[in-house]
Amino acid sequence: MSPWEAFALLLILFTGVLVVTLKNAIHAALALIGNFLILAGIYVALEARFLGFIQIIVYAGAIVVLFLFVIMLLYAAQGEVGFDPLVRSRPLAALLALGVALTLLSGLWGLNLAFTQDLRGGLPQALGPLLYGDWLFVLLAVGFLLMAATVVAVALVQPARPLDALSPEERKEEKEVVR
Amino acid sequence: MSYLFASALLFALGVYGVLTRRTAILVFLSIELMLNAANLSLVGFARAFGLEGQVAALMVIAIAAAEVAVGLGLIVAIFRHRESTAVDDLSELRG
Repeated sequence: MSPWEAFALLLILFTGVLVVTLKNAIHAALALIGNFLILAGIYVALEARFLGFIQIIVYAGAIVVLFLFVIMLLYAAQGEVGFDPLVRSRPLAALLALGVALTLLSGLWGLNLAFTQDLRGGLPQALGPLLYGDWLFVLLAVGFLLMAATVVAVALVQPARPLDALSPEERKEEKEVVR
Repeated sequence: MSYLFASALLFALGVYGVLTRRTAILVFLSIELMLNAANLSLVGFARAFGLEGQVAALMVIAIAAAEVAVGLGLIVAIFRHRESTAVDDLSELRG
């Protein structure tokens, strides 16, 4: 393991710890961005260049910004969030997480993988024939899922009644909640 | 190989976050962490078994995007009704 590799792995673990421990939701989301950017770097190092760029564009660019947007929409007035009143359950959660980690690590222990595959740098030219070949139906299913998710997300944030059917007071209240 | 170990630890961190976080949004952040841990191991396995691992990771990213859109829509809708997204307050479905 090269020093840079070790440094990157330490950094993703450190930012991961920050994500699950920071009290302020915005700080946690920013730590998550850091985690994703380092992961993108690791992907490029692992010959998955296209995936690395997608990671930056979709995850760090779109998903976390959506998170930040919702956090600021809902918690702008509250400041500190994520305080845990169930402190007693924490050791139990830590124990369970440790169990998961040990199970996964024991599965990996003794596994001897030879990195022999020719991935052609993980470029789109290499991924495209697979995406539109063997994985075509998976791709179509995921496209359909994304469309359904968009429709559901729009339907979920609709007010129960259309805005022009509400009385003026109700409309004011609705606007306050939506802000 | 070291990437796979790191991915296992990252996944366990996500589990810990899901179990200890009180707000639904932060639970979601931890789920993202777990999805990314899975992606990291898929990319790691791709080096040993072929490009299919990377295609699978791409699908995971797309599904995570759909999940975030629906999940955050749910959180906004619940917040409108309850003025809260603390998961302990949301233990019943009654509106």
